[in-house]
Amino acid sequence: MSVSRPARCLFSAATSASKPLPCLHHPRSFHTSTPRRGRRRPHYPSIKAADLEALNARAAEVPTYSESEKALLAKKYTPEQVAAIEAGEAAVDARDLLTQGALRTDPYKLRYIDDLSAIHPWADKQPRKELDSRVDYRVRHKSERELARALVNFTEKTKGLGDQGTEPPRGGADLKEQPGDWEYFRDGAYSALAPELPKFNTPGLRYTRGEDEDPHMVRLMQQTGLTLQEIKRIRVKNLVSHRVVNQTRMGKIQSLYYLTIAGNQNGMLGIGEGKASEPEDGQRQAMMQAIRSMKPVPRYEARTIFGEVEGKVGATELKISARPPGFGIRCQHLIFEMARAAGISDLAARVTRARNPMNTVKAAFEALTSQKLPEDIARARGRKLVDVRKVYYGGKVY
Amino acid sequence: MSLVNLAHVCSHLQNASKARLGLTSIPLTNLHLRLMLGLQKQGFISSVQLGGPAPPLPEILREPEPELPRHAEEVVKERPWELYATPEPKDSDALLNPRSAEPVAEEAWAEVGSHGSRKASSSSPSTSATSPDVPANAARRRLWLGLKYWNNDPVISKMGLVSKPTKRIWLNSQDIGKIARGFEAGYVKGLTRPGECLFVSTDRGVLEARECAEKKVGGLMLCRVY
Repeated sequence: MSVSRPARCLFSAATSASKPLPCLHHPRSFHTSTPRRGRRRPHYPSIKAADLEALNARAAEVPTYSESEKALLAKKYTPEQVAAIEAGEAAVDARDLLTQGALRTDPYKLRYIDDLSAIHPWADKQPRKELDSRVDYRVRHKSERELARALVNFTEKTKGLGDQGTEPPRGGADLKEQPGDWEYFRDGAYSALAPELPKFNTPGLRYTRGEDEDPHMVRLMQQTGLTLQEIKRIRVKNLVSHRVVNQTRMGKIQSLYYLTIAGNQNGMLGIGEGKASEPEDGQRQAMMQAIRSMKPVPRYEARTIFGEVEGKVGATELKISARPPGFGIRCQHLIFEMARAAGISDLAARVTRARNPMNTVKAAFEALTSQKLPEDIARARGRKLVDVRKVYYGGKVY
Repeated sequence: MSLVNLAHVCSHLQNASKARLGLTSIPLTNLHLRLMLGLQKQGFISSVQLGGPAPPLPEILREPEPELPRHAEEVVKERPWELYATPEPKDSDALLNPRSAEPVAEEAWAEVGSHGSRKASSSSPSTSATSPDVPANAARRRLWLGLKYWNNDPVISKMGLVSKPTKRIWLNSQDIGKIARGFEAGYVKGLTRPGECLFVSTDRGVLEARECAEKKVGGLMLCRVY
């Protein structure tokens, strides 16, 4: 206990001993999360006037620094630190100190009260390393605008050089052969930047993206960033379709439901649902949602999956497993189509409980996209995982 | 050797991982201790610490900085593969004496350098539990385990018994080898998931199935973890 410890800390330690706080860790709690309270406490405690008066009386007794203590402080601390200590003392209300001030008793309490000179390995934020003075940490790439400006400045400079009749700075052999190149820079009207496209005001002229003017397709292209050709190359297949009926007071309203999958046959797979009174609308909705929801499916050797995965949607549970090369896709037709669309050629699957087609497709999608990769497992466990297939026979295994 | 308690431990670790706890505890038995050291060696849990009903002090849980012995450079020059050797988990002796962690670590380095592997010592917990945090009553002692998470996923996603209290399964090393290669043997499903581990209680301690196949020892199938 140092001499320079503030008097209030001592005082609060002494007073809090009479009224111990409830221990944060119950003696029999076998985990570190805080136990739930039995009963909800009111937001504002009801305080009696007599208690408040007694508290005020005790708060008046809280000692402040005497002149001799201030002199002791001045010996240890600089005037600024003394001012900070006094400001800190003044900032704490004595009544708060009496009601709330207590030393923690749990195992994760701080190991000091007022000595902040030592840095505790786990309780304190560790100091950052000193920056290397030779490195400019603010360095960044030039933006496109700055690059264009720099280029314009450069052309301006070279234009000046040409006017003075001096040789251009990078006078190579080809430049000497073609002196006309530098004429461009001498010409003030010539810019190194690409010329703006001309705009025609002809009423009959229209700018089109292509022959397909379908606004839904344009919107899909904007949403996915794919071109029309790429979207047309995606393998889309409708797997489930049936009629659904909504019973209202006006009568039955029927519409058509579609469940569609989309895949690029190279590791991307998506599923989409659509429902509309018109079949075309529902199919288009499902197809576009499937394309929008395409997610990567991890593939081992671009032919099968990593190990065994399970999926569950509702009462449908299924298990999909990896198989050796040449095994083929031996499973029911829905998962078969999904594997084809994702570009998986060796697979086995088993739907173990309910075989509802909609839920089967959804569970298979969930299973295929939730594979754990060996790299992630290795990082998570901090251990090296080796693919034995790549080790035997010099990796020449197909 | 109660498999009922082991089943409770498996379920508790699954539940604690789903609840994203950082630290949890299980009752201390010799089997639990060996299995948890095996789990730590495989990287499923970060720390194993003996304690009482209250969690141990955080500075005990911190991993001590690896201190190289004096002749480390020469050792590395002669046997560079030891740099990549998997660190052996702390012995049960070292665990039960949490205050004396550093000398044990140094000794472990020396022993690994000379013999390659260490024998698991089998001292009873009552002899060497001298830390003030460890209660004298052996029934109140617990093992405090640090759980691991990566990419917002718990490292232990499933953990379940293979042998059941009413049907214990013993297999020889050939069958364990088949299981490690992903095939079914002796009514035990193969290790088909990436990184799946099966722990076996043998007369050389609790080993992973691949270690069993390598050392040609059989034993009682305990639990599978992935």
